[in-house]
Amino acid sequence: LASAFMAAAAEKSTKEKLLSTLDDIEVLSRELIEMLALSRTQKLPQPGEDTDILELLVQRDKEFQELMQTAVEQGEVHQEMQALEKEVEKRDSDIQQLQKQLKEAEHVLATAVYQAKEKLKSIEKARKGSISSEEIIKYAHRISASNAVCAPLNWVPGDPRRPYPTDLEMRSGILGNMSNMPTNGVNGHLPGDALAAGRLPDILTPQYPWQSADVSMGILPPHHGNDFGLEPPGHNKENEDDVEAMSTDSSSSSSDSD
Amino acid sequence: MSGFMETEEQARHRFQLELEFVQCLANPNYLNFLAQRGYLREKPFVNYLKYLLYWKEPEYAKFLKYPHCLHMLELLQYEHFRKELVNAQCTKFIDEQQILHWQHYSRKRTRLQQALAEQQQQHQPQAPSHGNTTSK
Repeated sequence: LASAFMAAAAEKSTKEKLLSTLDDIEVLSRELIEMLALSRTQKLPQPGEDTDILELLVQRDKEFQELMQTAVEQGEVHQEMQALEKEVEKRDSDIQQLQKQLKEAEHVLATAVYQAKEKLKSIEKARKGSISSEEIIKYAHRISASNAVCAPLNWVPGDPRRPYPTDLEMRSGILGNMSNMPTNGVNGHLPGDALAAGRLPDILTPQYPWQSADVSMGILPPHHGNDFGLEPPGHNKENEDDVEAMSTDSSSSSSDSD
Repeated sequence: MSGFMETEEQARHRFQLELEFVQCLANPNYLNFLAQRGYLREKPFVNYLKYLLYWKEPEYAKFLKYPHCLHMLELLQYEHFRKELVNAQCTKFIDEQQILHWQHYSRKRTRLQQALAEQQQQHQPQAPSHGNTTSK
């Protein structure tokens, strides 16, 4: 494109050519007329000069006609170019309009997809948390009947019953029979107390023993690698903002304290 | 981590153990015992406490007789709480508050019964007596 431009610049434009041709014609016509005017009074200095000038004149006129034709053609081309440019402009604005609409549509769809995803998430969450009402009622009955969450109505200070497993209960379980448990009755209730008071500890009631396994036929605890010395996955709760944060603990003991 | 295998029997036994242990955490005196012997400062123990959080899932939680233990378990995830448990006054306070809370519903029920009884007494004088000999 650059070289074509340079070539066009080197070549004279049609307008310049036309004007220079017109100048030539003017010059030649003037010479001819002067010569003819002179030939009235005196002989021609050079024979045949008038025919030369005439020939030149005719030639220039022919050139002029050709140039005019070229000019007309160029004018038509120019008009076509302008019409096409207008077309291009129109198409351009059409494309921009479509682009805008496309962007809007994309935005609307993205919002819809996002909301749908959120909805799916909450559906999943609800589904996960769904428990049959019958089970919940059963469980509520269990923990209420055993006085685990609601104190017995006749409870007075001195009653050994608690909302947690007492010393006696702890010692009577598997755990109690495995490892050493506190023998000083930390919560002040040695087995002798309850028996002396004539009240049997709740643990001896057969229903809902707290370490029951008969209902657990199918269930097993989650698998673990038996090495709690390693850092567990997931974030550390120490950094939750509703707890006054302390500096990280510095212990490095390796003993297993199961 | 993947090298550890256990039989179903062992897994069931472990289930029992963990069921008992997690419920023991409901006992503030036991927590004091653990804290004073330094267990709560050991990293493996802290990791174990985090592992025990599975008892919060419904399919496991239904075996808990003492649900208070879940609240204690959640609190035990925080280092600040674990540090405070060494203090016997602190655990005594927790114990007292826990027992008071335990009595909350029975107190509420007693109040309701009292209110109901008072209401009935108010209505009683309106009813005409039938010469009911059993009231004597």
